[in-house]
Amino acid sequence: MTIKITQLCKTYNQDTDFPVHAVDHLDLEIAQGEFVAVMGPSGSGKTTLLNMLGGIDSPTSGKVCIDDKNIIELQEKDRIAYRRDNIGFIFQDYSLLPVLTALENVEFVMQLQGHSEAECRQRATDLLIKVGLADHLHKVPAKLSGGQQQRVAVARALAPSPKFVMADEPTANLDAKSTAELLDIMQQLNEQEGTTFIFSTHDPRVIGRAKRVIVFEDGKKTDDKQIEQKHSGEIKQ
Amino acid sequence: MLVTLAWRNLWRQKRRTILTASALALALLLSLLMRCVQEGSYTANIENAARLSTGLIQLQHPEFAESQSIDDLLPGDDKFIEFANHHHNLQYVMPRIESFALAAAGDKSKGVMVLGVDPDKEAQYSGLSDKLISGSYLQADDQQVLIAEGLADHLGLKLGEQVILYGQGYRGQTAAGLYTIKGILHFPMPQLNNQLIYLPLQLAQELYSTDSLVTAWVLHSEELSLLEETVNDLKAFYGEKVNVRDWQDLSPDMAQQILIDRASGLFLMYLLYGIVGFALFATLLMMVLERQREFAVMLATGLLRIKLLKLIAIESTFIGLLGICLGLLLSFPILTWLFFNPIQLTGDTAQLMLEMGYDPIIPVLLDPWLFLHQVVVVLGLLALCLIYPMWRLYRMDLVSALKGGAHAA
Repeated sequence: MTIKITQLCKTYNQDTDFPVHAVDHLDLEIAQGEFVAVMGPSGSGKTTLLNMLGGIDSPTSGKVCIDDKNIIELQEKDRIAYRRDNIGFIFQDYSLLPVLTALENVEFVMQLQGHSEAECRQRATDLLIKVGLADHLHKVPAKLSGGQQQRVAVARALAPSPKFVMADEPTANLDAKSTAELLDIMQQLNEQEGTTFIFSTHDPRVIGRAKRVIVFEDGKKTDDKQIEQKHSGEIKQ
Repeated sequence: MLVTLAWRNLWRQKRRTILTASALALALLLSLLMRCVQEGSYTANIENAARLSTGLIQLQHPEFAESQSIDDLLPGDDKFIEFANHHHNLQYVMPRIESFALAAAGDKSKGVMVLGVDPDKEAQYSGLSDKLISGSYLQADDQQVLIAEGLADHLGLKLGEQVILYGQGYRGQTAAGLYTIKGILHFPMPQLNNQLIYLPLQLAQELYSTDSLVTAWVLHSEELSLLEETVNDLKAFYGEKVNVRDWQDLSPDMAQQILIDRASGLFLMYLLYGIVGFALFATLLMMVLERQREFAVMLATGLLRIKLLKLIAIESTFIGLLGICLGLLLSFPILTWLFFNPIQLTGDTAQLMLEMGYDPIIPVLLDPWLFLHQVVVVLGLLALCLIYPMWRLYRMDLVSALKGGAHAA
């Protein structure tokens, strides 16, 4: 499964004298199993790109094709369903539902797919154990640390078995230890399960782990390089 | 999961939820109290007025309502009234002759209303015998009459003296008779006290030469709520040969007065709900606006927008139901207590009511429909208050909402 972006543009204030080109005629291809970091300064268009890749935002022009299917052309309902089944999201501020426990947060997205309660419970438990939260299944987000919450977010993103995971500055609110642990988890999941991770980040700790780094500036790709893998961490429980 | 999520979301802002539900509960309590007292008073007034004069239902000749003529009569026999006599809703069935005559004594005369009644049934139904201030009550075979106090004074008549009644009888015959006064009645309402003369039914039929015919059959249902059903049954049975009139038709002034009073009561009730509605609206709107980022994440992770709307609808319904349950829990014991122990009026007001034949109390009506009406009003208010927050949510822009929601809709 491949994401292929063709001549993708996103322009804000289009009808004014000062249009802002958040993404400017971008061509890009990301294959299944990649561990990609999209880096660039604030306002360079990283989040806009991720939103369009995830079908959250619509481009001004261009195509976002996943296996030759242009997700931009889908109706909102179909786009949500497509997103639900194929794309996982990790947000900077974790964005967990505060009234649900860690386990329920992960189960929730699976239930949206129509899995049975038992299936949801089993997979959610497995994932949370995998990300090192075996002892925190029944805690609500407020009772978890930032790092733990972000691990729940990772488990939630992976619960529906997505082809791609979009992570928007996932380590921005984490300390060094939590960041390292989280990256270990994601890297291991990438290697073991072949899940594609696409990060928007300017965190050198993330960039250091990426297999591919796309540099973004003023809505344009200024560099795109494959990086030899130096380190694969172990998941710390 | 949506229901669980909605229920837990409700308690994220405990104080706000409790305050909103309490405001709804208080509005429901006050409205219900007001409506139950109002409807209780109407019921008591209608019952009392019916017993004092028209009855709850009358069977009349189809022309009688318009003509008020002694020529438009109904049969007074058992066969005719058998259906009504056996109707399970009817408590009283009484024949009446109701006409006009000129009453004269000495050199004085006055137009009066003559009522021919079954003395025993009338005493039971309207408490006519209790209005006697001198003399004795009628017997069915009496050749004497009862006269209202004001009329007796006007004609200068005393107990045992005679009054002449003169009028038009059935089919143009002359109705004339000289009757001894057996008793004097007192009615608190001047219009009754100044013009009523009661005769035993048979004597009235002789006076007006109606043979066994009567001007009306007066009927009374066990409960006011059974009235409509009873009237429909009677209409279906008697068809177009008989005019079945309910109290509203017989006392249009009172019906209109109640209608206006009820409308003003309902207006006050809706005003109260309107004020509470603003609080509810603010809560629901806040519930949506402050969580736009959260909703955007839910949409991003695959929740359909329709399910998101459903979530908000469930949360709002929970608030509404909490308010309703709390309101009913508060109001039911209070109203039940007031139903069995109505507030007693004292002093001049109580005296006046007693004289008019009313109990000096503030009656309360316990009717499930009144409770149901409040529930429907609260749910309707909820639905109304939900329109705008739902619209905002429906129109919420996912990208803006993910950025924080300031410009999400």
